[in-house]
Amino acid sequence: MEGLILVKDGDIASGCNELFKTFLTSGKLEAILVSQETPNGKMAFPALISDPEKLRSNILSPILPVSEASEISRMTINKGSDKPVGVVIRPCQVRALTEIVKLNQANLENIVVISMDCPGTMDVNTFSNLPEGKVPTDIIMDHLLKGTDIDQYLRSSCRTCKDPVPMNADITIGLFGVDLGSGFLVQAHTESGERLLEGVKLEAYKGEREKAIAKVRGGKDAKREAFISSKKEIKGIEAIADFYDKCVNCHNCMNACPICYCKECIFHSSVFDSDANKYVHRAKNKGIMKMPDGALLFHITRMNHMILSCVECGLCEQACPSNIPLMDLLIPVAENAQRELDYYPGKDPDEKLPMVVFREDEYRSVGEK
Amino acid sequence: MTGNGNKIGAVAVVGGGIAGVQSALDLADMGFKVYLIEKTPAIGGIMAMLDKTFPTNDCSMCILSPKLVDCSRHQNIEIMTYSEVKSIEGEAGNFSVTVHKKPRYVDIEKCTSCNDCVDVCPISMPNEFEKGLSERKAIYKYYPQAIPNAYVIDKEGDDEHRACINCMMCVKACKVGAIDHDQVPEDIELNVGAVILSMGAQPFDPSVKKELGYGRYPNVITSMEFERILSASGPYQGKILRPGDMKEPRKIAWIQCVGSRDWQVDREYCSSMCCMYTAKEAVIAKEHNPEIEPTIFYIDIRSFGKDFDKYVDRAKNVHGIKYVRSKISEILEDKGSKDLILRYEDEAGELHEERFDMVVLSIGLGMTEGKKETMQKLGVEVNDFGFAYSNQENPVALVKPGIFMAGSFLEPQAIPESVMQASAAAAQVGALLREARGTLATPRPVYKERDISGEEPRIGVFLCHCGTNIGGKVDIPSVVEHTKSLDNVVFADENIYTCSEDTQKRIVDAIKEHGLNRVIVAACTPRTHEPLFKKSLAEAGLNPHLLEMTNIREHCSWVHEDGEQATWKAKELIAMTVAKSRHLEPIPTSTVEVTQKAMVIGGGVGGMTTALSLAGQGFDTMLVERKEALGGRLNDIRFTVEGIDVPKLLSNLKSKLEGEEKVTVLTGSKVTSISGYVGNYEAKIDTPDGEVEYTHGVVVITVGADEHIPSSYGYGTDERVVTQSQIEDYLAEAKPEEIALGETFVFIQCVESREGERNYCSRVCCMGAIKNALRIKELNPRAEVFVLYRDLMTYGFWERFYKQARGLGIVFMQYDVGRKPEVEFGEKVSVKVWEPLLQEEVELEADHLVLSSGMAADPNHDELAKMLKVPLNEDGFFLEAHVKLRPVDFSTRGVFLAGCCHGPKFIGETIYQAQAAAARAATLLANPSLEAEPNIAVVDVDMCSGCKTCISLCPYNAIVSVTEEIDGVEVTHADINEGLCQGCGTCVAACPSGAIDQRGFKDDQILAMIRALGACVPGGGE
Repeated sequence: MEGLILVKDGDIASGCNELFKTFLTSGKLEAILVSQETPNGKMAFPALISDPEKLRSNILSPILPVSEASEISRMTINKGSDKPVGVVIRPCQVRALTEIVKLNQANLENIVVISMDCPGTMDVNTFSNLPEGKVPTDIIMDHLLKGTDIDQYLRSSCRTCKDPVPMNADITIGLFGVDLGSGFLVQAHTESGERLLEGVKLEAYKGEREKAIAKVRGGKDAKREAFISSKKEIKGIEAIADFYDKCVNCHNCMNACPICYCKECIFHSSVFDSDANKYVHRAKNKGIMKMPDGALLFHITRMNHMILSCVECGLCEQACPSNIPLMDLLIPVAENAQRELDYYPGKDPDEKLPMVVFREDEYRSVGEK
Repeated sequence: MTGNGNKIGAVAVVGGGIAGVQSALDLADMGFKVYLIEKTPAIGGIMAMLDKTFPTNDCSMCILSPKLVDCSRHQNIEIMTYSEVKSIEGEAGNFSVTVHKKPRYVDIEKCTSCNDCVDVCPISMPNEFEKGLSERKAIYKYYPQAIPNAYVIDKEGDDEHRACINCMMCVKACKVGAIDHDQVPEDIELNVGAVILSMGAQPFDPSVKKELGYGRYPNVITSMEFERILSASGPYQGKILRPGDMKEPRKIAWIQCVGSRDWQVDREYCSSMCCMYTAKEAVIAKEHNPEIEPTIFYIDIRSFGKDFDKYVDRAKNVHGIKYVRSKISEILEDKGSKDLILRYEDEAGELHEERFDMVVLSIGLGMTEGKKETMQKLGVEVNDFGFAYSNQENPVALVKPGIFMAGSFLEPQAIPESVMQASAAAAQVGALLREARGTLATPRPVYKERDISGEEPRIGVFLCHCGTNIGGKVDIPSVVEHTKSLDNVVFADENIYTCSEDTQKRIVDAIKEHGLNRVIVAACTPRTHEPLFKKSLAEAGLNPHLLEMTNIREHCSWVHEDGEQATWKAKELIAMTVAKSRHLEPIPTSTVEVTQKAMVIGGGVGGMTTALSLAGQGFDTMLVERKEALGGRLNDIRFTVEGIDVPKLLSNLKSKLEGEEKVTVLTGSKVTSISGYVGNYEAKIDTPDGEVEYTHGVVVITVGADEHIPSSYGYGTDERVVTQSQIEDYLAEAKPEEIALGETFVFIQCVESREGERNYCSRVCCMGAIKNALRIKELNPRAEVFVLYRDLMTYGFWERFYKQARGLGIVFMQYDVGRKPEVEFGEKVSVKVWEPLLQEEVELEADHLVLSSGMAADPNHDELAKMLKVPLNEDGFFLEAHVKLRPVDFSTRGVFLAGCCHGPKFIGETIYQAQAAAARAATLLANPSLEAEPNIAVVDVDMCSGCKTCISLCPYNAIVSVTEEIDGVEVTHADINEGLCQGCGTCVAACPSGAIDQRGFKDDQILAMIRALGACVPGGGE
């Protein structure tokens, strides 16, 4: 089921907001999780809204302060919802959600996933410190309508987005290949999506969406490839240590990551605890020892744990107080590791994680002869 | 002689090859005392000599060795090596077996396997284990991993070689006084309730076939010799060299059927395993050295076993092994280069002359004259081929009650068949001696354990010189001094041999005297002696898991040239072990209760046999059959050629089941759910009378397979085209006059089989065709019968029927899968087939076209597989735990399989496999509780994120996800079943949250070791 929803004056954001309202007023949804700007308009956060009157969402507001997938995990990890709840999330977050469902960290029972063609998001600081007169939503609309280059505003992982079109959503809000002056496209891909759109007035869509999507994807792919090939190989422990030089061991990257799911990170446990004598003994090894000592092991372990599921949302980089360009390393590593195991995170909910699949004929070159 | 009421709970197993070892382990686990009698100085048999095993390419010794070690450790098994049985007197339940034990001249109890004696022995002679390709001393160990791990002195020698000269050098060299040149032979009387003969067969000696030049041409060797050459512990350390000049061969030819299928040497049977071991040898040779070009000359490729066809396909297509269908009649040698010249005719009839660097003769197995004499002496009836006579309705039972047999003693065969027969024999002994079970078994000793909770670690370290093995290189006194300086070490001492009996007493005394609560033995590998030291701890009242071992022999003295470096490393390793020891904790022995009942799913011949065998051994059994009637495929088979009266067999089985009160039969019933784990299963069964619930301890799957319904060659559209079963039905009732003179039957083999989607051989169809062909000739000798085949799979003694068929004028025509017969339907069924020898197409005018379409697994198996969490292979047959050594077990403890659901097979084969499954099940059911593995993995519920990664990876299905309320919140976490966990550690490594720890290998224990590393030298460290 698909069709256009017409809006007045090209106000896509309000049009979407009205659509979400009908989901609540009709009782089809008990609540909806959607990004909503803070009263001063300088920030936006996901909010779980049950009162249609309180709904003031703006899906074009280009910001992703926290992982939406993580919030859905927080809500559903112990038990799924008894009544239908809608979640409006970006494509990278749908991919992340698909991954954490595989890891049993979220339960999609009665969750209706609504996603959108994503024009990209800005870093929290960029967003809240735009020059006088610049309105985030206008920048995005300008880009969507006229094709203005807005890379200067976008987060690096959005500039090289792995895929700005959602997969595995129940409903997609289509912006690419649509005459946004008159309205936006909605597509239902599943039964629960169709149920939600029942009774919504839809106009026939006649645009060339596939072509438009191919163009957007092609542009992003080219940028992503250029990004990867521009990165120097970081080889050897010295070079890796140098890369993470500015790390202050705050573990914000871990907290921001939708994939990092351990209840208690092993680096917060007592496993690596030691005593003064041992520290001195280790210091004697090279005569000097950096403190705190676990930063590098932390990053390597974290990478080892999450890289195959990394959806390249870039939230770790946004969270880093030292501005370490984490994606410079993560994107090339993710690309190589995922290609090696022929795995595209977030693509197929039924495909098993490479970690849990044992293939006897794999990697014979390194195994026992 | 005592009557039936006084059966002896002991068993003599004669022959220590893989079959004997399997019987011994099964019987010992069932609670019988076992004497394992072996002629050579060590158990292991032929399997110990093999390099790899097909079709998995597992290292033979690596998979066999744990079983041998288990035998030597089992409290109910007494291994008697260098011993032969002289006579067996008495009757079932009470035999007197006389064993002649040759003097070994070495006291096994005292020998520490240090090799000092070998170093001083001046006499060298050919090493028979290495097939004479290398030498050994007069005092020697049979092979490096030999069990018992002790030496033996050869005082006999042979015609050409002088043996021990009594120089007594070894006596002087031996520091434990283990050598006794005054030992004399002795005859030992054993009183046992049953005997299992698994004395094997001998590899053929090809020197009698003069035309092949074996023994004259140095570069013509046997396949057994080639196995040793491939082996890393073999004569050339795994390097492929030709014995003539130690050059690396490039072109190697294998010649099949040497001493098999050969009337000239009176061996008109197939040896069954040579086709496959040859494919394996060629593949492994190429893996060793990709330059090698193997060519295999064969008559038929008999790849009739599970996954064998796929293996041969890989050998051909992936590894590029060349196969030539041609019988080689003569080998010539180039006198100068010692290369070998083969002349052969290829399939197109063209003559070739080809030069090879080496020729391997694929020799079969047979009975030597000496063996035949022994068999006569022991009263074993012999068949036409010199093997033990066997009745297909109970293949492992000897005519004389109470004596059973297994392995290649019965018929040449590969490892899994031998293992199944060994277990089958054990099952029958278990039933025969049911009342005596446990009467002579040694119970596991129980020691009182001291509570060490709250105690500071008090560590005692025992360092071993191992003669000069360690002490000759490592400065033990300085290591002792260093060890004493480590925190918590309250005692450290050195011994010449820590494993000797008197040292065990010193360990026990030291534990008591110094109040030790941790013990470290720094000596050799834990593989052999760890159980011994653990026992000493237990005797001293310490939990045995408070022991740690440091290997300062294999890891220090044996691998480092420089004594100083070896000494430093020994100090480091001991410091690491001390660090780990501080974190050791007692591991309680936990047990799993066992409901001593079984459920058998599938009521064909396999299921009925399994149920009867289990009941015979004393276990209540539920037999569940989906159909209205029992019997499965037996209902379809009308006659056989091997002498089984199928209708009679079926009615016998049914009436035995009716008379067996321990078996409950549910027909027209289906198992709808099974929950639980080994020892504690709950099943729900849908029966015509409503749902039945059943609690039991083990499950045996015997759900069979069916004839594949073909869709090619006009089947289903022309009624003259029938399957094997259909023609059998017709022939069973047909009168001689119904078959006309010249009436023509054409059989096409491998229809929709051994290619494409069903790329496996169904094992039984070649014999099926021959059986029906023989029947036709019996009805009217002047009927015409043609069998169009790809490879004729009349393996083993089936070969005799192939010969008989050819003698009766049945025409066998070979076709290639790339050029299948073509069929046209007119007045007659016209079958066109390419005849390679004539190089032309032959047209047969058939009245009947019979298709051998093979067997197919029931797609419904999937449901059962999921229910029991056991795997299927890609062809839909159930996949056992290990194709060689665990052919009726699943990885999941407590679930077993037998019959055609494992892979297509004959009735006799299903019968012994079913008995084997019953034996394996009985090893669990015989005990009211199972001891759980101590070093199992344990989940920290607070850390577990419930991601289920571990569940997917656990090879034993020991982990489940559970959801429970903790502090008012529903939490999902992993839960490890103590009875199923085998302590492999896979989940521990996989858990990203570090929520799983393995007892004995906990994070804090391992990290303590890592942190201790480098503490011994200034500047050394992490």
